[in-house]
Amino acid sequence: MHLIDVQTGLLADNDAIAAENRAMLATRGIYALNVMSAPGAGKTSLLERLLPLLATRWRVAVIEGDIVGSADAERLAKLGLPVEQINTGGACHLDARMVHHGVHDVVHGPSDVLVFENVGNLVCPAEFDLGEDDAVMLLSVTEGHDKPKKYPLMFRRAGLLVLNKMDLLAMTDFDVEVAVAAARDVHPGIAVIRTSCRTGEGIAEVAAWVERRIAAKRGRPAPPSPKAG
Amino acid sequence: MHELGIAGYLIEVAEQHLQRAPHGTVRRLLVRIGEMAGVNPDSLDFAFTCLQKGTGVDGARLEVERVPLAVECDACGRRTPVADYVFRCGACGAETVRIVGGREMEFVSIDADDPEEAACAPD
Repeated sequence: MHLIDVQTGLLADNDAIAAENRAMLATRGIYALNVMSAPGAGKTSLLERLLPLLATRWRVAVIEGDIVGSADAERLAKLGLPVEQINTGGACHLDARMVHHGVHDVVHGPSDVLVFENVGNLVCPAEFDLGEDDAVMLLSVTEGHDKPKKYPLMFRRAGLLVLNKMDLLAMTDFDVEVAVAAARDVHPGIAVIRTSCRTGEGIAEVAAWVERRIAAKRGRPAPPSPKAG
Repeated sequence: MHELGIAGYLIEVAEQHLQRAPHGTVRRLLVRIGEMAGVNPDSLDFAFTCLQKGTGVDGARLEVERVPLAVECDACGRRTPVADYVFRCGACGAETVRIVGGREMEFVSIDADDPEEAACAPD
């Protein structure tokens, strides 16, 4: 018998391109955020609220991932930000190769912050690094508080958990304490912010969290003047 | 469903290795999948079976070695298993633990007959 030693990661090609994306973004100090959730949790609604706040200080670009169509990209383009739509054509997640050209364009443009809106899915996106600095996940209260136990990898990966649709809480059996405890079993250090994209609750807190992360990447506090180069 | 893409990559990498090494019939591909890896071993096996026909690994078996989830504690230094995805040190209860096993998604090795063996083997 002849044994051929391979010893390579099954996602080695994705990881290599993600590393390239990360290195490209680093050359211009661009901060990148990967926003993930199940379908319908409110990723686009959150971005509609959040990005105008970030855009008062930073030049923000978006790479929008959907299986088909451009409905979300059209919603976000109304904010006056550059949005690139990627249709995965059936694939259940964005991967580093799909976003590579988009990242390249952003790096050669004027932006300071890049947001990836991933395909709605709590499983596959968790395994595919895009080259982002941080991963944020949304869990809406209509989905149930047991999700951290059912999709541990996503909760382990995210630095921030946004509990969305808090305006609907009274209409559901969602137990916030149980959800937060379960998320912290899987990821003890995870930050948690409660939001409603209808009322605006918590959006400023999310913006502040992102601002702190941008400042940490740039190694200095956020500049006071808008869009300072 | 990304298992299909991963199986395709597995075959591509296997063919690259096989081109460089003289070999007989390819018998087995060994992969190591952690308990907390985002890949389902059964789906991967199914995808591999679908894609292997006509490739350099046609007829080979995919063997999956599972790795249980384990953490190492920054506080007490012990390595303990993780039950129910509760990330605490199993020895001292500290939250400052790092995953040291269970996230693997690795293509380990290929078993093939020796080239001489293959030359002598009846069809």
